[in-house]
Amino acid sequence: MSATGSRLLGLAALWAAMLVAFSIATPAFFQASTVTSILQFSSILALVTLGQALVVAAGGGGIDLSVGGMVSLSGLFMAWLGGGLAAVPAALVAIAGGALLGLVNGLLVTRLRLMPLIVTLGTLYAYGGLALALTGGSPQRGIPASLAPFGRDALGPFPLSFLLAALPVYVIAQFALSVTPAGPWTYATGRNEAAARLVGIPVARLRLAVYTISGALAGVAALVAASWLQSARPDIGVNLELDSLTAALLGGVSIAGGSGSPAGTLIAVLFLQSLKTGLQLSDVNSIWQTGMVGLLLLASLQAERLLRRGSIAA
Amino acid sequence: MPRLSREAAIALALIAACALFMLTSPYFATAGNLLAVGRRCVDLALIALGEMLVLAAGGIDVSAGVAMGVASIAVGKPLQAGAPAALAALAGPVVGIALGGVAALAIVGGQMPPIVATLGLWGVWRAALYLLLGGQWLSGLPRALDPLLQGVMFGIPPVLLGIAALYCIVWLVLRRTPAGPRLLAVGGGEDAARRAGINVVRTKALVYVAAGALNGIAATIYVAQYRNVEMTTGGTLALDAIVAAVLGGCSVSGGEASVLGTALGVVLLRVLQNGMVLLGLPSLWTGVVEGTLLVLVLAIESLAALRRAGWRTA
Repeated sequence: MSATGSRLLGLAALWAAMLVAFSIATPAFFQASTVTSILQFSSILALVTLGQALVVAAGGGGIDLSVGGMVSLSGLFMAWLGGGLAAVPAALVAIAGGALLGLVNGLLVTRLRLMPLIVTLGTLYAYGGLALALTGGSPQRGIPASLAPFGRDALGPFPLSFLLAALPVYVIAQFALSVTPAGPWTYATGRNEAAARLVGIPVARLRLAVYTISGALAGVAALVAASWLQSARPDIGVNLELDSLTAALLGGVSIAGGSGSPAGTLIAVLFLQSLKTGLQLSDVNSIWQTGMVGLLLLASLQAERLLRRGSIAA
Repeated sequence: MPRLSREAAIALALIAACALFMLTSPYFATAGNLLAVGRRCVDLALIALGEMLVLAAGGIDVSAGVAMGVASIAVGKPLQAGAPAALAALAGPVVGIALGGVAALAIVGGQMPPIVATLGLWGVWRAALYLLLGGQWLSGLPRALDPLLQGVMFGIPPVLLGIAALYCIVWLVLRRTPAGPRLLAVGGGEDAARRAGINVVRTKALVYVAAGALNGIAATIYVAQYRNVEMTTGGTLALDAIVAAVLGGCSVSGGEASVLGTALGVVLLRVLQNGMVLLGLPSLWTGVVEGTLLVLVLAIESLAALRRAGWRTA
C-alpha cells in the first residue's frame, strides 16, 4: 500500500516539475486558460482510461484497444438518433451505444474465449472504420444545442464536463472499488484467476462487465466531446488506445492485472494531458505527442518491472 | 471427423472469391487488374511472413508496417542522393534488422508484453518517420532499383524469385531444422520450453530480428515499386499482415504456423480488397471488412473448437 502511495507521490511530483518546466519554457503555458484546456481534454481521456484500467486490472490478458473506435462510433449514434431529443435522452443514446459496443467485446472474450488483444484490435478497426465509412470522414451535426453549456462552460478554471462527468465517475469508481465487493473481486481475478474461481467469484461475468463498462465510459467520453464540439467527429477517438493504455500503466495499473486505483489513474491522465497540451502550446507537431506517448508507455512498463523486482527483493 | 486442412480451406475460399468477382466484374480477370493485385501482394507477403514467425513464437507486432516505413526512408534517402543502388537496397534490411533488434530488446530484454511494447514502438516509429522525412515526402526517386522488378528468367522479376526463396527458407527452417520445433515450443508455452532446455530468450530475440529483416527487405521492394515514401507509408500493413497470417491458420496464442497458409492468406486478402473496390465499395470500408474478418475467423474457429470439446462454462 505504501509502495502505491509513494509511486503516486512520485508521479505527482514529476507532474509538478513538468508544469514548472513548461511554464518557464513557454510563457503561453502559464495561464488560467491552460488549466481549463488541460482539464477539458483530460475529461475525455480520463473517462476512457478508467475503462482501460478496469479491463487491464481484471487480468486474463485484458486490454481494450478498441476504446477509440467506441468513442467515435457512439458519438455518431448520438448525432444520428439524438437529433430531436432533449439533452438527457441524447446523452443516454451515446452511453448505451458505447455499452453495447463494449458488450460485444466482452462476449467475444468471455463466451468465445478469444484473446482480448486480438478481439479489440479487430473491433478497433471495425468500429473506427465503420465511423469513417458511414460518414465519409465528415463531422455529423445533430448534437442537441442544449448540451453546449455542459461541453463548453466552466466554473472558474474548471470545465463543467470535468466537474459533472469525469470527476463524479472517478469518485464513484473509487468508492465502488474500495467499499463494495467489486474491488476485491476485480483485483483477485486479475491476480489469480483460478483462485478467484475457487472462492466463487463469477470471473466470466466480471470480465463481461468490465468490457461493457469500458464501452459505456467511451460513450460518456463521446458525449463530452460531442457536447463540446457540437458535432460528432468520426476520427475523434484516433490514438486513444495508445494514450489510455499509457495513462493506465503510468498510474499504477499492472499490465499483468490485479492492481491499480482510480486516484492513480486520474493523476496519470492529468500528467499525460499536461504533457500533450504543453507540447502543443510549444508549437511542436502533433506527431511528436504520439512519439512521446509511445516512449512513455515503454518507460512506464520498464519502471513497473523494476519496481516489482525491487519489491520482491526487499 | 475428417476436417479440411487450413491450407485447403483457404485455397477454396480464394477460388470462390475469384469466381465471385469474375462473375460480378468484367474487369477482375483482366491481365492489368491481376498484375495490380500481384503488385499489392509483394510488400505484404514479406511483412506477413515476419508477422507469422512472431505470432508463432507467441508474440505480436503491431509496429511492423511503420517499421517498414522507417526502413523505406533509409532506402529512399541514399537513392535520392545518387548513392549506388546496391548500397540503397542493402540499407533496407540493415535498418529493418536494427529496428527488429530494438523490438527484441524491449520485449525480450525488457520483458514487456509484445502488444504493449509494439504499440509503444508504433508511436515512436511514427514520430521517427516524421522526423526523418522532415515533413516532406520522398517522391519521384531515381529508377536505380528497377532491375529488381524487371523480368529475368521467363519474364519473372527477381523480386518474386526472392520472395519465393524467402518463403522456402522459412519453411525449411520451421519444418526441417531443430530451430522450427524450438520456435513453436516457445510459442506454445515458455515455461515448458524452458524446462525442455530451450533458450527462450535467444529464440524470441532471433524471431523479432528475423521479422525485422523481412520488414526491411519489404522496404527496399516498396521503394523500388513506388519510388516514394510518405508519412503514411506502411500504416495499415501490420493489420493486413496479422489478418493474412490468421486467415492462413496462424494461432494468435502462439505455437502454430503455416507458411503456405500465410502466402494464401496474403493473396486472399488482397483479392478481397481488390474485389471490394471493383464492386464499388469505397476504400474507407477496408478497415471495417478487415477488422470484422479477423474477429469472425477467430470466432468461428473458437466455436468449432468449443463444440468439439463440449461446452464447459467458465
